[in-house]
Amino acid sequence: MSSQKRGKNVQAQNRTSQGSNSFQTTLSAWKVKQDPSNSKSISKHGEDNPVGDYEHADDQAEDALQMAVGYFEKGPIKTSRNKDKTLEKHLKTVENVAWKNGLASEEIDILLNVALSGKFGNAVNTRILKCMIPATVISEDSVVKAVSWLCVGKCSGSTKVLFYRWLVAMFDFIDHKEQINLLYGFFFALLQEDALCPYVCHLLYLLTKKENVKPFRVRKLLDLQAKMGMQPHLQALLSLYKFFAPALISVSLPVRKKIYFKNSENLWKTALLAMKQRNQGPSPEPLKLMLGTANVRPLKRKWNSLSVIPVLNSSSCTKECGKKEMSLSDCLSRSRSFPLEQLQSFPQLLQNIHCLELPSQMGSVLNSSLLLHYINCVRDEPVLLRFYYWLSQTLQEECIWYKVNNYEHGREFTNFLDTIIRAECFLQEGFYSCEAFLYKSLPLWDGLCCRSQFLQLVSWIPFSSFSEVKPLLFDRLAQLFFTSTIYFKCSVLQSLKELLQNWLLWLSMDIHMKPVTNSPLETTLGGSMNSVSKLIHYVGCLSTTAMRLESNSTFLLHFILDFYEKVCDIYINYNLPLVVLFPPGIFYSALLSLDASILNQLCFIMHRYHKNLTAAKKNELVQKTKSEFNFSSKTYQEFNHYLTSMVGCLWTSKPFEKGIYIDPKILENTGVAEYKKSLNVVHHPSFLNYAVSFLLQESPEERTVNVSSIRGKKWSWYLDYLFSQGLQGLKLFIRSSVHHSSVTRAEGINYNNQY
Amino acid sequence: MLKEDCASELKVHLAKSLPLPSSVNRPRIDLIVFVINLHSKYSLQNTEESLRHVDASFFLGKVCFLATGAGRESHCSIHRHTVVKLAHTYQSPLLYCDLEVEAFRATMAQRLVRMLQVCAGHVPGVSALNLLSLLRSSEGPSLEDM
Repeated sequence: MSSQKRGKNVQAQNRTSQGSNSFQTTLSAWKVKQDPSNSKSISKHGEDNPVGDYEHADDQAEDALQMAVGYFEKGPIKTSRNKDKTLEKHLKTVENVAWKNGLASEEIDILLNVALSGKFGNAVNTRILKCMIPATVISEDSVVKAVSWLCVGKCSGSTKVLFYRWLVAMFDFIDHKEQINLLYGFFFALLQEDALCPYVCHLLYLLTKKENVKPFRVRKLLDLQAKMGMQPHLQALLSLYKFFAPALISVSLPVRKKIYFKNSENLWKTALLAMKQRNQGPSPEPLKLMLGTANVRPLKRKWNSLSVIPVLNSSSCTKECGKKEMSLSDCLSRSRSFPLEQLQSFPQLLQNIHCLELPSQMGSVLNSSLLLHYINCVRDEPVLLRFYYWLSQTLQEECIWYKVNNYEHGREFTNFLDTIIRAECFLQEGFYSCEAFLYKSLPLWDGLCCRSQFLQLVSWIPFSSFSEVKPLLFDRLAQLFFTSTIYFKCSVLQSLKELLQNWLLWLSMDIHMKPVTNSPLETTLGGSMNSVSKLIHYVGCLSTTAMRLESNSTFLLHFILDFYEKVCDIYINYNLPLVVLFPPGIFYSALLSLDASILNQLCFIMHRYHKNLTAAKKNELVQKTKSEFNFSSKTYQEFNHYLTSMVGCLWTSKPFEKGIYIDPKILENTGVAEYKKSLNVVHHPSFLNYAVSFLLQESPEERTVNVSSIRGKKWSWYLDYLFSQGLQGLKLFIRSSVHHSSVTRAEGINYNNQY
Repeated sequence: MLKEDCASELKVHLAKSLPLPSSVNRPRIDLIVFVINLHSKYSLQNTEESLRHVDASFFLGKVCFLATGAGRESHCSIHRHTVVKLAHTYQSPLLYCDLEVEAFRATMAQRLVRMLQVCAGHVPGVSALNLLSLLRSSEGPSLEDM
């Protein structure tokens, strides 16, 4: 017996030492040694096993790897004295090759069997399983064989757990899954074991197809839940079952929870990443959101898709994809489903919408606008759950300020974020996972990397109560805001403006839907308006402080006024009962600025406020009932105050008397003699160049210009000149708010109830 | 930080712990930044001890905490909550930055220089205390459940 063993050992060693050209024989001749007494040997692969990857025979590492693999196949040599050293050496070889390049599927086959058959101790098995990283694919047969080893019961509990974790992590690399699906019942039975339950649930979640959902399985799951309580992994599986067969499950599942499985692939994460990178071709140009599917279905062994977003691949059997025509009976029968690769146009989507089976890789919908339409209309919780789950996992993994070592992946991550933002724009709503990701990663954000994408994600935050969002988002954003450059401040203001716009659009649509269906936003109109006005007030505070920090920069003021341009028209444009004025810090900075375009913008905004407030007043009178949305007289008072100040400055040459009041003595101290006219349309510092060019236009040969000569008739010509120079805001403001009469006065809004 | 453009002269004094030796003549200190490495418990201990030597008037906006290493959660031996509580106790802002990455360092340097400008009084109309009230956030809900 022992001689036989030694003989075989010598034989195997001879083969390995024959040199590189005979590697074929080493791998193909693996035999399983059950028992020294049992001389039966099972040789698996034939002699003609193509070991194609090992073309380059001179590689030292390859030889060492084969030796190592051969060593493991043979099993532990009980008699050898330096057993541990050789074992360690071979283990290290395997690990090095695995982590560097990945293992070929045949090697994974052999090593899986070795690890699960219990020939070596627990520690060795763990190490082997931890380094089972595929170079290309994992063959389905190896997995099936491995599972059959589990039935023999030769490996320990912790090895089993590790195996299932490995299976879940490498699920995407298994080439076919039909045979594994046949083992569904076996996996299901494992749910009984407490230690394995979460991982098996995850595996089943990935594996389940419609035909796997049977009543007895549902009952079993519900029993388990009753025993163990509401575990997230059980919930996940139940929701998936509910998606496939809603009639079988009457239990209501919680809506909010969207993240179920702990990330069990941590161990292999870095290696998988490296692998994806290796197999990726040159980085692709940014894709537009195409109407059809993005690529032709690639060969099974080519992994040069976008590294993050999986390629669209229907989960149905490949044999069915050949059919072009589908009869009605096919459509009605449950087993037939429309292959997603053939989905090219919108009419096709509409025809096949009832028998569309979503891909097992939910992430691939991001690239296809048709599928985005589909998941938007279907409104099935589990579909969205799967999608959000994938999205949150991928965002977490790919986020570059978590992966401090891999900072170079900035480009990839930016592209990924771009795709998400495009999808959000397309669907006109934000994703829950993105929101959660924002809240979590905002503290660590430095404000520079992926800045525009990040701020765009901020603008897509779904509507919710402002006081909830404030501590999560705005406090940290404010920290960044106040300590950053002026450009960052402007970008933030812009994205807050877009956020406001999105919220207003949702709310205005919501109001119209209110009488028909229950409001999806679950808030009352009053609560929503409250939230929006809080946001606007908050931005007002941010702006005022920012102006102080940046010493009244006009660049910043432009962005602030842009924001208020949106705010002033809420009542008329969005039909929402809300009017919020801008804070005095902004008003007076704009009024006294040195830039004519700022003043122009300010005039335009004042004009729009005027229109909105008069419309609101009219509606109030028409309705005659006291509703909660009647604006307090304070708003009108404030507006009139601003209006009088503005007209006083610009038009009537009586600044600082009626609106904002400054004691004349203080004004004397400034040393400006003629302060009364110094802020009107002619003498205002921002209009000075216009005044001068107007005068020069009239009489170009003049050497000196006297700006004060613009009065009387010239004044109206001067105004026309200003309007022709593009100061439309000024024009609208003067036409609407200033009364041309001998006694010029401001057209304030009469806020008493008698009109 | 020294690479940043600044209108007036910027001086940085590095120290491993406080108190600084009092024998040296040094210019007025405008901002103290405590750098805490989340990967080492010793760093937190050191900071807590040094805090005792800081004069109370500095806590009106001239102290800030900088936590580094928060990106790699697996290596953190100090929980983020601990540092948040510390900042809250001393009523000072807490910033996060992974100082190992060049780009993050550069942006954080910009930020600190801007804070320093305010604390030194170079920005009219904004005082250090003012800035403090802007930067401090209330103790928000835990983000663990996200």
